[in-house]
Amino acid sequence: MTSLSVKVDDVHVDYEIFSERRAGLRQRLVGGKGSGRRVIKAVNGVSFEAFRGDAIGLLGSNGSGKSTLLRAIAGLVEPTSGEILVSHEPKILGVGGALMLDATGLKNIKLGCLAMGMTRDELAEKVDEIVEFTGLGEAINRPFKTYSSGMRARLLFSISVSIQPEILLVDEALAVGDRNFKDKARVKIESLLANAGTLFLVSHSTSEIERLCNRGLWLENGKILADGPIADVIAEYGADT
Amino acid sequence: MTVHDDPHPESEVEDQGLFSLNESVSSRAYVADIWKRRDFALSLPIEELQSQHLDTFLGNVWHLFDPVINAGIYFLVFGVFLGVGAEVDNFILWLVIGVFAYDLTASTISGGAKSIAGRQGLMRSFRFPRAIVPISNALGHLLSFGFQFLVIIACTFATGIGPSRRWLLLPVVVLLHSAFNLGGSFIAARLNDSYRDMQEIVPFVLRLMRYTTGVMFPVETFFGKNALIDFVVRANPLVQLINFYRWVIIGTDLNIGLSALALIESFAILWFGFRFFRVAEYKYGKA
Repeated sequence: MTSLSVKVDDVHVDYEIFSERRAGLRQRLVGGKGSGRRVIKAVNGVSFEAFRGDAIGLLGSNGSGKSTLLRAIAGLVEPTSGEILVSHEPKILGVGGALMLDATGLKNIKLGCLAMGMTRDELAEKVDEIVEFTGLGEAINRPFKTYSSGMRARLLFSISVSIQPEILLVDEALAVGDRNFKDKARVKIESLLANAGTLFLVSHSTSEIERLCNRGLWLENGKILADGPIADVIAEYGADT
Repeated sequence: MTVHDDPHPESEVEDQGLFSLNESVSSRAYVADIWKRRDFALSLPIEELQSQHLDTFLGNVWHLFDPVINAGIYFLVFGVFLGVGAEVDNFILWLVIGVFAYDLTASTISGGAKSIAGRQGLMRSFRFPRAIVPISNALGHLLSFGFQFLVIIACTFATGIGPSRRWLLLPVVVLLHSAFNLGGSFIAARLNDSYRDMQEIVPFVLRLMRYTTGVMFPVETFFGKNALIDFVVRANPLVQLINFYRWVIIGTDLNIGLSALALIESFAILWFGFRFFRVAEYKYGKA
C-alpha cells in the first residue's frame, strides 16, 4: 500500500505583471485596458501525484515554472485554477527567503520557529540544537544582513528541518552551501525520506538531483514534458539541452 | 508529455486525509491559528523595536522624543499663537493626550498599510495567517504607546491632577482604541497590497483627520457652527476615542450617545476590516 502525499490536479498559476511601457494616464483611467498589466502563465496545466518516500527532482530551464509550482504546493501562492491536495503542510526552503535583516541570526531562528507555529517551550527546547546544526558558530550573534548567501541558506535550512517535515520543498537552497553543509543537509534529507517523507528538489545541478532523487519531473513553459524515474528523465532532459 | 511506467497502480493508492491549503477556513479556526502563534505575533514587533534607531546616538529614546517634540510644536502654534490654550482647561495635558492618542492611530494605520510589503521575505518562507502581519504591526505601536504613556502620567502629576478611580477604565479605552486602529490597518493593508497608490494617499487622509478629530483644538471651536458638519465631525469614532482618554485622565465631559456610537463603530470597523483583509489571504506575498 502506498499513500499519496501530494496531488496536483490541472494546476494553472497566472501572474499579473506590470510591463515597462505603460499606457497613458487617460487610457489607464478611461480605457481600463492598456494599464500595463500583462498576464504570465507561470504554471500552465500541471497534474501529477507524489507518494510518501518519493524524492522528486524538478528539471527545466530558468523561468520554466519550477519555483512557482513549488510555492503553489507550499500554499504560498494560490493556483489560478486547478487543485492541490497535500497530506501534511509542506515546508519550503528557497533562496532569498529572508526574515529580519537587522536582527541577529539567533533571533531569526527564534522568529522562524515561532512563525512555523512552535510554542515558546518547544522553541526553548530546540534552539540549541538548531544553532548547532547551522554550524555558524559565533556568527549566530551577528545581524542576518551581514551573512553571505551560503550562511543564509544554512540558517533557513536549519529552521525548516527543525520540525521533521513530512513534505520538504527545496528550491535551489542547497546550491550556495559549502561542501560540509551540503553533506549535513543530505543526511537530514535522507533521514526524512527514510521516515516516508516526500522531497521536491529544484536544482540546476543534475548531479545533486541524481544523488538525492528517485523520480524526475521535467517542466518547460509551465508544462510537464517528462515524468518518471530520475535516470530516464535526466537522460531526456540532457538529450534536449 | 512522456509518462513512464506508473510505479503506483491506481488500485493500490490510498489518498485518505489529503487536504487543500487554499481552502478558506472558518473565522473561528483562523483566529485560533493566530492565537496559536501569539508568541510570533508579539516577538516580531519586539525584535523590530529593539533594532530600530540602532544607528542613532539616542537610540530608543526617540520613541519618546518624537511625540513630545510634536506636542511642543502644537503647544506653540495652537496654545500660544492661536490662543486655544485659554479656552481649554489644563491645555498642556489635554494636548499631550490628544497628540499621543492620535499618533497611535496614525502610526498604526500607516504602518499597517506598508506592513504586507515589508514582510515579503517572511511570507515567502513561512505559511501563517497573514493577519498576523498587521496585528503585530499594531502591537508594536501599542508597545511604544505604552512608553509614551509614562509622559502622560508625568504630566498628570506635574499639573496636580493625580490618579482617579476612572483610571481603572483605561484598559477598556485602550482596547476600544486598538479595535479601531486594527480595523483601519486591515483595510489599509489590503488596499495598499492591491493598489500601491494607497501609500501615497494614506498620509493625506491621516493629516486631514489630525485636524478634524480635536487633537490640538476642541472640535466645537471650529466645527460647532453648522449642526450637520458638527455631527459628521463628532460621529468620527476617533474624536470620541481621544475624548475617552481625556475623560479618564482629566475628567472632561463625555457625550454618552456619541460615546456609545463610537463603541459600535470601532468594533464594526474591526469586524469589517478583518473580513475585508481575509478575502485576499492567499494573494499577499504573491509577487
